[in-house]
Amino acid sequence: MPQRLWRTPLDTEKVKRPKAEIHIIKDQCKGCGYCIQFCPKRVLEESEEINAIGVHPPRIVDESKCVICGFCTSVCPDFAIFAVERQCKEGC
Amino acid sequence: MAKKEKLESKEGDEKIRIGVYVCHCGLNIAGSVDCEEVARFAATLLNVVLAKDNRYTCSDQGQELIKNDIKEHRLNRVVVASCSPRLHEPTFRKTCEEAGLNKYLFEMANIREQCSWVHLHDRKAATEKAKDLVKMAVAKAALLQAAEEIEVPIIKKALIIGGGVAGIQAALDLADTGYKVYLVEKEPSIGGMMARIDKTFPTMDCSICILAPKMSDVGHHSNIELLANSEVVDVKGYVGNFHVKVLKKPRYVTEECTACGECAKVCPVVAPNEFDAGLAIRHAVYTPFAQAVPSAYIIDMNTCLNKDGVTVCDKCIKACERQAVNFDMRPETVELDVGTIIVATGAEVFDPSALPNYGYGRYPNVITSLEFERLINAGGPSGGHLIRPSDKQIPRRVAFIQCVGSRSERNERSYCSNVCCMNTIKDSLLIKEHWPKTEIYVLYVDIRAYGKGFEDLYKRARKEGVHFIRGLPAEITEDRKTHNLWLIGENTLQKELYEINVDMVILSVGLEPRKESETIQRLLTLSRTQDGFFMEAHPKLRPVDAATGGIFFAGCAEAPKDIKDTVTQASAAAARAGILMAKGKVRVEAVTPIPYPENCKFCGLCTRICPYNAITLDKELKRIEIIEAACGGCGTCAAECPFDALTQNHFTDEQIHAQIDAVTEHDAEKKIVAFCCNWCAYAGADFAGVSRMQYPPNVRIIRTMCSGRVAPKFIERAFARGAAAVLVAGCHPGDCHYINANHQTQKRVERFWRMMEQQGLGKERLQLLWATAAEGERFASKIREMQTIVEEITPEEIESAKEVFEKALGGG
Repeated sequence: MPQRLWRTPLDTEKVKRPKAEIHIIKDQCKGCGYCIQFCPKRVLEESEEINAIGVHPPRIVDESKCVICGFCTSVCPDFAIFAVERQCKEGC
Repeated sequence: MAKKEKLESKEGDEKIRIGVYVCHCGLNIAGSVDCEEVARFAATLLNVVLAKDNRYTCSDQGQELIKNDIKEHRLNRVVVASCSPRLHEPTFRKTCEEAGLNKYLFEMANIREQCSWVHLHDRKAATEKAKDLVKMAVAKAALLQAAEEIEVPIIKKALIIGGGVAGIQAALDLADTGYKVYLVEKEPSIGGMMARIDKTFPTMDCSICILAPKMSDVGHHSNIELLANSEVVDVKGYVGNFHVKVLKKPRYVTEECTACGECAKVCPVVAPNEFDAGLAIRHAVYTPFAQAVPSAYIIDMNTCLNKDGVTVCDKCIKACERQAVNFDMRPETVELDVGTIIVATGAEVFDPSALPNYGYGRYPNVITSLEFERLINAGGPSGGHLIRPSDKQIPRRVAFIQCVGSRSERNERSYCSNVCCMNTIKDSLLIKEHWPKTEIYVLYVDIRAYGKGFEDLYKRARKEGVHFIRGLPAEITEDRKTHNLWLIGENTLQKELYEINVDMVILSVGLEPRKESETIQRLLTLSRTQDGFFMEAHPKLRPVDAATGGIFFAGCAEAPKDIKDTVTQASAAAARAGILMAKGKVRVEAVTPIPYPENCKFCGLCTRICPYNAITLDKELKRIEIIEAACGGCGTCAAECPFDALTQNHFTDEQIHAQIDAVTEHDAEKKIVAFCCNWCAYAGADFAGVSRMQYPPNVRIIRTMCSGRVAPKFIERAFARGAAAVLVAGCHPGDCHYINANHQTQKRVERFWRMMEQQGLGKERLQLLWATAAEGERFASKIREMQTIVEEITPEEIESAKEVFEKALGGG
């Protein structure tokens, strides 16, 4: 069906997408950059701050883009990053 | 073999006795050609023992006359001067056979499509041309030889390309008859356009409710193998014996899938659903719609997080109890052998963003009729509520605009799309049914309610208070705050301007050929009309056959049509394919090459250019072998051979030379000798006739099966005998009926041009034309263009060409 799809689907709000809460344990990070490189949604980037080890840990660009696929956790050699689903109260 | 020898010996002994029949075809020919005069002229020709003219040669009486004459006057060749051989050659060949004359001893002169109809107002010139055409046919007839056709078995399996309602119906019909069917669909599910429509006109049946049972039958039928998410990538072979390669794209979900949907629930990524025209959302793992067949999920790799073989996200894998998700699946090529092919590839809808004055793509509340179908459908994104996209409110005033992308020269779609008028009437009634107070305007050019029950539906819509206004709006403008729309245009019946304010506009979009038609055309060597839809072998009498044997059309691939017509055509195509397969064998026309081994130098040129690899050469054993069943019959090998070691049966060098000689006997310096391939250029010239396109009468067409048959020596001979100009015409490159034989045509003509330049001859005297069977005007305008060239040629130029090519006259 080659057609131009230009509208925002009408039921966008009905489809529940997980809201993520990303946790970065900055001082555990050794700055390999795997999480930044492999994130399929490009959620992370290198920050300018310097952690205890003396490297730049990652920083969150846009948390709403994260779909909690968990790949960052899988590739992190230092167990320094994980994402969980945000337990939201009413109205979120 | 004994019979063949007998035939030959009989001919050898006997004097050639030709009977000529000049047909009036009512007034179709007699209206502009003096048929009695032509018959009198024919009687004076060499070898002609009798010449008659009659009103309808193809009638039973006309055929009886030929049969009686064959017996009574011992005719051993028959020439009929009437319509195109593409129309009635089979008829008269059968007549001859019934009278005991081999059908290859029959020849036809086309004095209707290529004479009387194209020179309606010049009786004298048309009559002279008809005489010439008869003379050419008689000259060729004298050299005709009897031939036996070989029989090729037909594989009793069919391939159907396209799984819309056309493909579904054709598949079920053939499978129920008992034939094995392969149904190839490029989308993940069969169903096509019909599955996306809410209700059907004129009966208001629920579309998917009547289609779903058929889809499910296809899925379960023991004779049908469904190849969804697959595309045909290669087709080789010929009628009865096609070898097809189908690319099965990976679904990433195995057949273990039970369509439970647990995977989609956990899939974290989404995209617009193509099936719902982008109005609804789907996950990366999805099924396009609830009734999909095969009933299985599929993963869209463009949306999925797992790319390049890296499993980033494994949520669906974990969710699937049956472990049906498999990211290691790879594309797979399936090879099939089938006897017949049905093309049911359908059409697509026009994209109205090409018309900026309607604002589609800019104004959210301007939607297409296809989007409307998904909105009004209970299974669609809004649950059957017609809501406007800007604020999701139910509109109170709605306008339909007709002929969007149809009947407009401006956007190159001059044809009527056939379904939009009735679709709009149906849609307006659907709105009235749910929300009776809605004000509805239909802005139209003409309302075409031509089918059974259509007019009643139209009347019902008028009765329900739908306003029909004749005249399309010039422009749509939007109120930025409310997103309401203003339509401005002229009511052409009342001769006044209108300005209508509505909440929503529905563009009734037309149908257009699929982009992939080009690929299908190339793979199956089909032809298309100017509109881009596939062209049938005969518009009236063979409406579902392709010009290529063993291939049939069903549905919108051939032209826009509604569901009823599509289903009718699909059953017809299935029946036509069934006839071939029931017979179990097909005869191959005896137009294969004839070798003269004594001339062969074993150079191997013919083996290299044969598009079918049907010639093998054993240099050591000094043996050349022609595989007749594989030969397509283009004759390009015969044109290529520099040693006259090959010629083509029924189109021999001698026969074509005789035709050239007949054309150039008188007034050669005023004539154009045209060589036209049977499938495109000759058919295009016929089409010019059927459309009564007038062109100068000094062209004489010699038919060959392929333009690749035209040997340089034919062109040389024509010039050597003083012809003013020569035209070589064939199918467009890439459309050749014989795979790529017309590449050779191009090479030879280009070589000839270079040679003409070297010899100081004007190369414009040799013209090359590519024209499809639908391009009658292209052919006619080429002849007009060549006429101006002919008028400027001086006697000196004719003489110098004669001298240059003098040696071509020797031999043959």
